[in-house]
Amino acid sequence: MTTQAARATDGLRITGLVKRFGDRTVVDDLDLTVHPGELVSLLGPSGCGKTTTLRMVAGFLAADGGSIEIEGKDVVGLPPERRPSAMVFQNYALWPHMTVFKNVAYPLRLRRLPKHEVTDRVEHVLGLVNLLHHRDSRPATISGGEQQRAALARALVQEPQLLLLDEPLSNLDAKLRVKVREDIRELQQRLGITTVLVTHDQDEALSMSDRIAVMNGGRIEQVSAPDELYTDPRTEFVAGFVGQLNSLPGRLVGGRLVPEEGLLTGVRPEDVRLIPVDEPGASAAGHAPQDRLRGRVVRVVPRGAFHELVVEVEDRTLHSLAVGQSLPVGQEVYVDLARPLLFRDGRRLQER
Amino acid sequence: MALPPIVLILVFVGLPIVTALLYSLGHTGGLNSVTATIAQHQHVATSWWGTLDAYREVLTNARLQRDLALTVTVTVVSTVAVMLVAFGIALYQRLSDSRLAKALAVLAIVPMFIPVVIGSWAILLFYSGTGFVRTALAQIGVEGPVWAYTQTAIIIGSVWTSLPFAVLMISSGVQAVPDAVIEASRDAGASLARTVWSVILPMATVPVIIAATFTAIGVLGSFTVPYFTGPNAPTMLGVDINNYFSSFNQPQQSVVMAFVVFALASVIGAAYVWANFRTAAKAVR
Ligand SMILES: Nc1ncnc2c1ncn2[C@@H]1O[C@H](COP(=O)(O)OP(=O)(O)O)[C@@H](O)[C@H]1O
Ligand SMILES: [Mg+2]
Repeated sequence: MTTQAARATDGLRITGLVKRFGDRTVVDDLDLTVHPGELVSLLGPSGCGKTTTLRMVAGFLAADGGSIEIEGKDVVGLPPERRPSAMVFQNYALWPHMTVFKNVAYPLRLRRLPKHEVTDRVEHVLGLVNLLHHRDSRPATISGGEQQRAALARALVQEPQLLLLDEPLSNLDAKLRVKVREDIRELQQRLGITTVLVTHDQDEALSMSDRIAVMNGGRIEQVSAPDELYTDPRTEFVAGFVGQLNSLPGRLVGGRLVPEEGLLTGVRPEDVRLIPVDEPGASAAGHAPQDRLRGRVVRVVPRGAFHELVVEVEDRTLHSLAVGQSLPVGQEVYVDLARPLLFRDGRRLQER
Repeated sequence: MALPPIVLILVFVGLPIVTALLYSLGHTGGLNSVTATIAQHQHVATSWWGTLDAYREVLTNARLQRDLALTVTVTVVSTVAVMLVAFGIALYQRLSDSRLAKALAVLAIVPMFIPVVIGSWAILLFYSGTGFVRTALAQIGVEGPVWAYTQTAIIIGSVWTSLPFAVLMISSGVQAVPDAVIEASRDAGASLARTVWSVILPMATVPVIIAATFTAIGVLGSFTVPYFTGPNAPTMLGVDINNYFSSFNQPQQSVVMAFVVFALASVIGAAYVWANFRTAAKAVR
């Protein structure tokens, strides 16, 4: 697939990227391709190297190895001002001594565009992010959400070949975050900008991305579409990081757990079904009672549309989701585990 | 609660200023009578508010005019030099974490711990006819300059003594500019030089102005450096004030010169007040 033609149309192609701080390898032989117009999230826990990767793409950090191509052009040797990317910083990094208009106009002024063109383009972009009424405000006088949009406008006005977003929503309150992430996604799709989004928030990644690259310890564990990532995780880490996972040692054989060295079974909470032992016909369903996992409800956590039930099975706890009717605490239940994910030494074994 | 400090300031700052002002206008009685009995060449008040004769004498004296010009020149040149060097060091320290940058910043602070008299003598010896500079240059067959007892030595000494405070002040301002706003500027397409001009300098304006006003006022009224390292004539007003007061026994002329320096300092002080006002205005938001 890596023909010259395919290369040229790639938005961003990272190959074998390495970064070391001292003797610590923070980004370890990382490969990632982002197609034109696509939004790919780098998702991973804090400290896994997401920001470091993004900063190497933007040019703020020198890579210790590997190549970074934007629209087919290697940018590794270029300083940030010569790269065709634009970044939205986590804390927005607006210039406090300039008005919103001047912040957004700055990149265009640097390009020595005629004054009327600068004004037109800045006003157009401020319109896109709905900030025209604050064109003459200083950053300190507008809200966090508005600052975020000003920072986005400053990146968009450059019409970059690649848009880089580093945790762009982490400084917003929960409600605004949901709205802004929809706004950003809508704008990104409308303008068709190739985008890399860094986040540690799986909801953010799942709701905004075309594809998600899950990072762990400086490496990418899996790159998949959001749905696939959840239903078809390729490693135990991905399964555990994206969505909730009950991890049980051993493998499931006929409804019971059979211990086996190096094997681990993961079950999503919605795949944990609880059947009260005193329910008529409970024992008749499926296997014989002695072959079934049996447990007791120890906690019920209301989650709005559903309940999360914590069940003690033998000496471990499982999480289960119950839509509609919940079960009382103390209820003895049979536990049926559906759609198990089997891992050997952290890697998925069978396809589902 | 605020009363004791106010009284203290009125007695120890306000009262001397008022009596000195009255004396410069020729009011030789009252608190000024003791000074006035032994002073020479006094101008005595001719109307109820006094006389400007003493000011006229000082400001029309050709020698003092030259000294005033020298004072202003030294102040302007030294302040500009201090600002350039201090901003350069602060910037270097901000943008590089090399040892050299750190060493330079520490070195710039050292004069703060050396008394001005000792520093002045060191500068004098360094640039004297038989000093280090000429001796070292002579080794390679070059005739070095003699800067001891020249205006240049005063400027070098003024820069030397003013640099530590300016470096501390400006460094703290430049250091407070976050990485992200600098990177955002580069990301937007600005070179490093353009980033310094359009982002770092404007964001450090207030400390730069404060450092500049303190430096200028300090140099303007300096005595030790010009007294030790400068020429006998022309010299700076600080030295003249001392000469007129203790050698020539003309305290009234001294006081007049002091008010001239004070007037110049007030103009500079206005910049300082304006900078502080800007800070306060920002804090309110
Ligand atoms: N300049 C640096 N010097 C040394 N270590 C660093 C530096 N920047 C980041 N690190 C380390 O590299 C690791 C990855 O950091 P980062 O990329 O910021 O993680 P993330 O963005 O995924 O939370 C962290 O352990 C961090 O402490
Ligand atoms: Mg980060």
